[in-house]
Amino acid sequence: MSRSVRRADVVSNDRLLAALAEELKLPLLQIARQAELANQADIEMSASQALWFVDSYLLSQQLLQQSSLELEPVAVSSVLQDAAQTLDSLAKQYNCGLELSISGRFMPAMAHRQALETALVGLGSSLITASQDKKPRLILAAHRTQGGVVAGVFSSTDGLSQAVFQRGLSLYGKARQPMQELTSHTGAGIFVAAELLSSMESILRVAKHHKLTGLAATLQQSRQLALI
Amino acid sequence: MASILLLEPDKQLAKSYQAALHKAGHTVHWQTNAQSALTVLDDHAPQLVILELHLANHNGVEFLYEMRSYPDCDHVPVVLHTMVEPEHPGLGHDFWPQLGIQEYLYKPRTTLAQLVERVNRLTLAQAA
Repeated sequence: MSRSVRRADVVSNDRLLAALAEELKLPLLQIARQAELANQADIEMSASQALWFVDSYLLSQQLLQQSSLELEPVAVSSVLQDAAQTLDSLAKQYNCGLELSISGRFMPAMAHRQALETALVGLGSSLITASQDKKPRLILAAHRTQGGVVAGVFSSTDGLSQAVFQRGLSLYGKARQPMQELTSHTGAGIFVAAELLSSMESILRVAKHHKLTGLAATLQQSRQLALI
Repeated sequence: MASILLLEPDKQLAKSYQAALHKAGHTVHWQTNAQSALTVLDDHAPQLVILELHLANHNGVEFLYEMRSYPDCDHVPVVLHTMVEPEHPGLGHDFWPQLGIQEYLYKPRTTLAQLVERVNRLTLAQAA
């Protein structure tokens, strides 16, 4: 098969996946809202999480199609707070202690706010559902380094290392469990986050925070505001 | 509490939104398309409009331009409650003040509780 034919196949598959994802949004939304009305919190959460994944996939595809993503100064602490709020009900469902750790004050970082928040929620939801602990912990954290602002999600879950993550990235889309050492699931939230961060020219890496292992990315500080 | 015109093309979703708004004490006039919603406006002006932009035939923006030409409806607040994602290039904020759009809620990430809370806040502000 020639390269141009294979490329046409990829484009066609992407379109089909995007169309399917769009179609899935409506029934998932219907289930979530009906469950909310009937006070069925577990069903609402499961449907909302599925809807979130579908929506995040579409967002990442949309952002990756743009030739350059418009970054703006973003208050990382506020994005972490919003992401924690979104993850709160999922954490409760999984009996997971959710914490925020924002050390010191720092300037806004250059990011795409929605993409960053979606990436953090994706990381958080994958790490929450991956955990085998009875009382897992999840910390959404940010700290300043010379290279910029490091923002990420850290968990008490075992099994995450740079090697596991790198292997996961190479198996993503080919294997059902690309990060088998970490999770019995697909870990889709992690890979969606990696794509979203790469669209902001930032790289997701395995990192440590207060003895917990997690995934984090370095964002450049806003130079424009640093001059003020 | 308030008379609300709900423009929602999906029947299942409309049922949930109607039920939640009814429970909060509001009267809801539900329509699936712009044309039928305009006939409702002929009878009486609502105190608030909840609008999906993706409608069959005429879209939500066309409906809004038409609605704003009705003397009784030129100040009715509008909540965009839509499947159109915040990043969509067509969702420019430039025309919002002109069309009286007070709120934008992205439907997949808005719970019934959040919708009711925004509606209550807007209708209370309007009544004050």
